[in-house]
Amino acid sequence: MKTAQVIMDTGAHAAALAVKSARVDVVPGYPITPQTSIMEALAAMVENGELHARFIPVEGEHSSMAAAVAASAAGARVFTATSANGLLYMHEVLHMASGGRLPVVMCNVNRGIFAPWTLWADHQDSMAQRDTGWIQYHCSSNQEVFNTILQAFRVAEQINIPVMVNFDGFAISHCLMPLTLPSQEDIDRFLPPYEPEWRLDPAHPSSFSNVTNAPEYAPFRQMLSDDIMASIPLVKQAAQEYKDITGMWDGDTIDTYRLEDAEVVAFAINSMGAELRLSIDILRQQGIKAGLLRPRLYLPFPAEDIITALPQNAQVMVLDRNYNFGHPGGILASELKSVLFGRRNDITVKNRVMGIGGIDLTRQFMAAEIRAMMDE
Amino acid sequence: MNNMLELRINGFGGQGSVTLAHLLAQAALENGEQGQALPFFGVERRGAPVRAAVRMSPGSIHAHSQCELPDYVVVMSEKLTKAAISEGITEIGTVIINAPYAEAVEKYCTWQVDAEAIAREAELFSADGPIINIPLFGAVCRVLNIPQNIMEQTILNKWPGNNEARNLGAAGKAYNEVRICSPLL
Repeated sequence: MKTAQVIMDTGAHAAALAVKSARVDVVPGYPITPQTSIMEALAAMVENGELHARFIPVEGEHSSMAAAVAASAAGARVFTATSANGLLYMHEVLHMASGGRLPVVMCNVNRGIFAPWTLWADHQDSMAQRDTGWIQYHCSSNQEVFNTILQAFRVAEQINIPVMVNFDGFAISHCLMPLTLPSQEDIDRFLPPYEPEWRLDPAHPSSFSNVTNAPEYAPFRQMLSDDIMASIPLVKQAAQEYKDITGMWDGDTIDTYRLEDAEVVAFAINSMGAELRLSIDILRQQGIKAGLLRPRLYLPFPAEDIITALPQNAQVMVLDRNYNFGHPGGILASELKSVLFGRRNDITVKNRVMGIGGIDLTRQFMAAEIRAMMDE
Repeated sequence: MNNMLELRINGFGGQGSVTLAHLLAQAALENGEQGQALPFFGVERRGAPVRAAVRMSPGSIHAHSQCELPDYVVVMSEKLTKAAISEGITEIGTVIINAPYAEAVEKYCTWQVDAEAIAREAELFSADGPIINIPLFGAVCRVLNIPQNIMEQTILNKWPGNNEARNLGAAGKAYNEVRICSPLL
């Protein structure tokens, strides 16, 4: 391990530094709050020669993902970022990236969805992209954002599936905290240059993503589904090797805190998963055996790791920062129940929706909510 | 968690609350601790009330919420004192007010510094008027017992080669002039 450097940085700028150290080739971008700081930083790095990449300003997010798809098909390492309605506007092209098996990496800085307008975090935007065939990480700290972007490129390029790295707007993106920067040498060792198996090349013309008949189409879709599931060992391997090289660890598919003997388990993603550690400490001081299970990987949903990690007879309190419209409660609870069904009948799942549109989630509030849920 | 110090800055848009929060978080790191600055970004305009959370801790900081019950409240303008306290403070909290004169606020330990006068004297001006966040940074460092050399190093790192003498002069004066107010009799 080479000497690492500690700086103070925001989550958004930490993302830009990770992208720079991943030595990307192409960055298409369009601004949207709270993601804009990432694009501003990358545009400046390209302009002043720190990052040898092509920055492509476009007129909207549909085009930024289209440019990302095209550049990736031409063999480039590509990054872009978006938030909320920008992500929704990309929806069609997200399917092109995954169906085309293009290892684009994108940050989505979580923000609630219009209407009405909100600037602040909830997870409706990324959850609404559940069925686009992207791998999705959700990060709980500035450092994890940095680390995960590098791991995302590695996993994406190993299995040719695009990866979305999500983190909360403002609570992470605009939060200034210490950030450890591994040496470029260590990062290069972890993330070698991208060697595409094929690429579009005008010198050797070929076609890509033509109309297929059902006998060709169906196996493509089946392969995508199978390979998304097959990414789980790669996610674990990337986390482990990143730790071996840099010494840093944020969990692999899941992250846990005081879980081993827990009778009450908080289950949540993103920055809630950080603040909840403090809620767990409060509950422990009150004599409640509380613990935390934070899925770091939301898609593929790490079913086996969750089933293995949950203690016997635990009450799991799922704190969703999104709505599962048409069902009571949130999407994470629904996902969790579907993996536990028939496998862990000892587990009780309870669910509350909170923090919508950036409502502040303090350690005291979440500890009180968990206590109240115990009596339900 | 018990050793984590929480601070909230209440100010008006344009007074430099975000930069003050960044300086304090940076000073924590310079001082060998962990620091966090978490400004609340809304649809601010100049002159509208704004706030920012700051945390300092010997260990990792996991909190990502605004400071609901901070140990310290920094009031950038005395006009905001009542509103700032009503947003929440711990029972044994401390208040630091920028004002030419101040009396103790309720039961709280209260410190006062005339950051505006110090900025004027040091000729620290922006297009909007005197730059009060630099003297306030000095004053808050004093109240938090952050050594003066750490405070100075933080300023030098933030703006190397830029206005160094005036920045250090104003921050140092506030560091030495900030005083505890007598409680009301």
